[in-house]
Amino acid sequence: MRTRVMAACLLALSLVAPGCGGGKRAETAYVDHEPLPTDTMTVRMDEPGRHGGRFVVGATSSPKTFNPIVANETSSSDLITQLYAALVDIDYLTQEDIPVLAKSWSFSPDGRTVTFQLRRGARFSDGHPITSEDVKFCFDVVLDPELHPSMQDALMMPVGGKAVPYTYSAPDSYTFVVTAPATDALILPHIGNVRIVPKHVLEPAFRQKRFASSYTTATPPESLVTSGPWRLKSYLENQQTVLERNPYWCGVDAKGKRLPYLDEVVFRVAKDQDVAAQMFHAGELDGLDNVKPEDYRQYLADQKSKNFTVYDVGASFNTHFLWFNLNRFHQAEKGHKAGTPRAEPTKYAWFANRDFRRAVSMAVDREAIIRGPFYGYGVKTWSVLTSGNARWYDSTITAPDFDPAAAKALLDQIGFTDRNGDGVREDPAGHPVAFTLSFNSDNKLRASIATLLQDDLAKVGIKLIPAGMDFNTMVTKFRHELDYDACLLGLGSAVPADPGMGANFWKSSGLTHYWDISQPEGRPDTPAEARIDALFQRHLATTDLAERKATFREMSQILNDECFVVWLPTSIMKIPVSSRFGNVHPSPMPHRIMWNSDRIYQKQASGTR
Amino acid sequence: MRTYLLRRLLQTIPLLIGISALTFLLLQLAPGDFLATMADNPQISPATIEAMRQRFGLDRPWWVQYLLYLKNVFLHLDFGESFSRHQPVFQVLGTGLSNTLLLASAAAVVTWGLAIPLGVLAAVRQYGWADKSLSFAAFLWLSVPEVLSGLLLLWFAARTGWFPIGGMRDLDYDLFTPLQRMGDLIHHLALPALVVGLVPLASRMRQMRANLLDQLRLDYITTARAKGLPEHRVILNHALRNALNPLITLFGFTLGSLVSGSFVAETIFSWPGLGTLTLEAINTQDQYLVMGSVLMASSVLIAGNLVADLMLAAADPRIRHE
Repeated sequence: MRTRVMAACLLALSLVAPGCGGGKRAETAYVDHEPLPTDTMTVRMDEPGRHGGRFVVGATSSPKTFNPIVANETSSSDLITQLYAALVDIDYLTQEDIPVLAKSWSFSPDGRTVTFQLRRGARFSDGHPITSEDVKFCFDVVLDPELHPSMQDALMMPVGGKAVPYTYSAPDSYTFVVTAPATDALILPHIGNVRIVPKHVLEPAFRQKRFASSYTTATPPESLVTSGPWRLKSYLENQQTVLERNPYWCGVDAKGKRLPYLDEVVFRVAKDQDVAAQMFHAGELDGLDNVKPEDYRQYLADQKSKNFTVYDVGASFNTHFLWFNLNRFHQAEKGHKAGTPRAEPTKYAWFANRDFRRAVSMAVDREAIIRGPFYGYGVKTWSVLTSGNARWYDSTITAPDFDPAAAKALLDQIGFTDRNGDGVREDPAGHPVAFTLSFNSDNKLRASIATLLQDDLAKVGIKLIPAGMDFNTMVTKFRHELDYDACLLGLGSAVPADPGMGANFWKSSGLTHYWDISQPEGRPDTPAEARIDALFQRHLATTDLAERKATFREMSQILNDECFVVWLPTSIMKIPVSSRFGNVHPSPMPHRIMWNSDRIYQKQASGTR
Repeated sequence: MRTYLLRRLLQTIPLLIGISALTFLLLQLAPGDFLATMADNPQISPATIEAMRQRFGLDRPWWVQYLLYLKNVFLHLDFGESFSRHQPVFQVLGTGLSNTLLLASAAAVVTWGLAIPLGVLAAVRQYGWADKSLSFAAFLWLSVPEVLSGLLLLWFAARTGWFPIGGMRDLDYDLFTPLQRMGDLIHHLALPALVVGLVPLASRMRQMRANLLDQLRLDYITTARAKGLPEHRVILNHALRNALNPLITLFGFTLGSLVSGSFVAETIFSWPGLGTLTLEAINTQDQYLVMGSVLMASSVLIAGNLVADLMLAAADPRIRHE
């Protein structure tokens, strides 16, 4: 009996087996059923493609929400940028502002008011026209004081110490006017932050204060109405999100054929980097945007035989740096007078000494770091914007680089000498110069950088003690407890990767002004920070790119002369994508592969990697 | 029997409250909160973070937050909302739990489907080559960590192309016939179930072997053999039935532990289960999601134990729950 059941099971399995795994969907020819809008958007691309096919890209986790206004993390925003369009966006190749749902815009003479002309005939994925009423609705939602989504900050500007919102109006169905309370260099990217959702679907939820719980991952795909090139086909938590083309999308190629070319885009979850690599090699993924530098060589060697292309994207936009704890009590509390340092007073005295910080920077052998943890795929970086950023990179910004002899001389000069011959210098008061460097130990790259830093500093007579810890523990240390010595961290890229997006880093009152966070508004601790604050203000208050570049250069140079942060190298990114696809242009900005998914196309009807 | 069941169910309430209090306390002791990572985003202002903290109720002392949580649970059966997903926690956890239970059941089939026949074989052929090689293989597998066996099987899948590399469904699942869908599921389930199911195999097999050997030494077996019963009937009809008794209790226990045991395999095989969700919730400190998933996993464990007790009573007429 038992054997018969077993045999029946095996038979059933063999009957269904051909259907699984390798079974590829039969392709049906694409027919455009909808008339093109009056104002089509002609998309720039290398070559016109053909319709059909599917692109599967790896993702580290699945989206948490499909609501573009309350979404907060990259796994959601990666999908949201595909599903919803804004009035303006940036061209990832040139980082220039480009019109999307708006066909054009004009500035008022004072530069504070922008008047957008919307694209006539643009439609949501349910066929409903996209009008200025929808745009106005989205602005209402973003600026709602009760909902207070994190993107609200983009539509607010500090004026006279108070956050003042943009004002806006919709004089007719296809005109939308936005006025900033003061000149705002980033007004277009800020407006582009607001992705357009359908008023006719979401207004009731907004009125009933249920907006945040609308368009969640539990929403049935067919009722998710989108404004971008794609709409949701299916969603399986921690598994895959499948997008299909929005049949009403206004984008067309040079021949006037409607985009996107691909039938489907799939974001497939592979939590583990090694598993994702296996999936890519097995042809289950067509593109991978988080390859480890140690694997680059293997990918480069395999690309011919396995029919994929390794795209060299250049320097990553992610930076690595360390800083010393310069925080002080801003007001008297718990037996501490205002102005006393948060770190141990002896150590604070070293950290606050600019020459000490410069000596540390000169002790760091950055080339050794590039050869080591970066496997040769790294470049030196001296600012928040790396050499990968064609628009903002400035090669004239300098900082104290590796020069151990100069570092030793500088330490001697400020009285840090090794008086007891144990290899570690003592400060003038006789304290051995030793400090701990906190980093999150789950980041293997930072762990190996910390070890190299320990060796480098030992060579000039400074004892660095690496202290690996859980990420949240470290964040609590440098944000709330403020009782650490030094920290090793990195910053990711904003979109657009514009210095103006880094207000919290540059401004002395910011939360990511790591070395001395949240200083009282208008009362920075050092004259150098006061100058940076003023420069940043100027940087944002003009739309003149040349002037913005000059102010960016100047604040970066002050930061580096003071050595508030000690810059470390940045990795070079390589992105492997199947050679079956055309118009692939990986960018250092997220989403690195799919940012131009509307024009990526599959070269032949069938065939595998 | 009914009073016993009722008593057991009532006992679980203080137990679950205790578990929830402990979980909540541990979450509070962990550094940072859900908004900590967001504060690291240079584009979000401190004022916005503060506004969000208020909206999520994270600005209140932890015990106030916990009492409010209990109040909502008891008065409205409201277990809170996930901060990142803006959905009720059980809506988020539902599919994850069912996927995990699916994997756990498949793993149980692997464990018990192999442990019982192999254990019987080892007992019947005691000290024979089959017994020795089975013990060797079982212990070898027992000493391989789950992560390694998972990655090895994944590598095997990648090299041969016989199995999908992780995931639960083929991309064309929607176009499949019901039969193909079942085949697709089994195809995806095979390797993760093997990884999870083979871990407890060694001990279960040894237990089966020992139990059966104990029974075979008893007088009633000698009697049965003396009556001239064929050996296979002596073993299958008489000895095996009695030898299975202690294993039934174990089965219930493993039901609970299989849920927690599948967390590692879920990550390696990208299986969209409760483990993946829970880990993500813990990493982002999505506190009510963590609470919900801990309560869910505990309930499964408690239910497993209860089922074990009930099954034992059903199998052994000497045991009665009064």
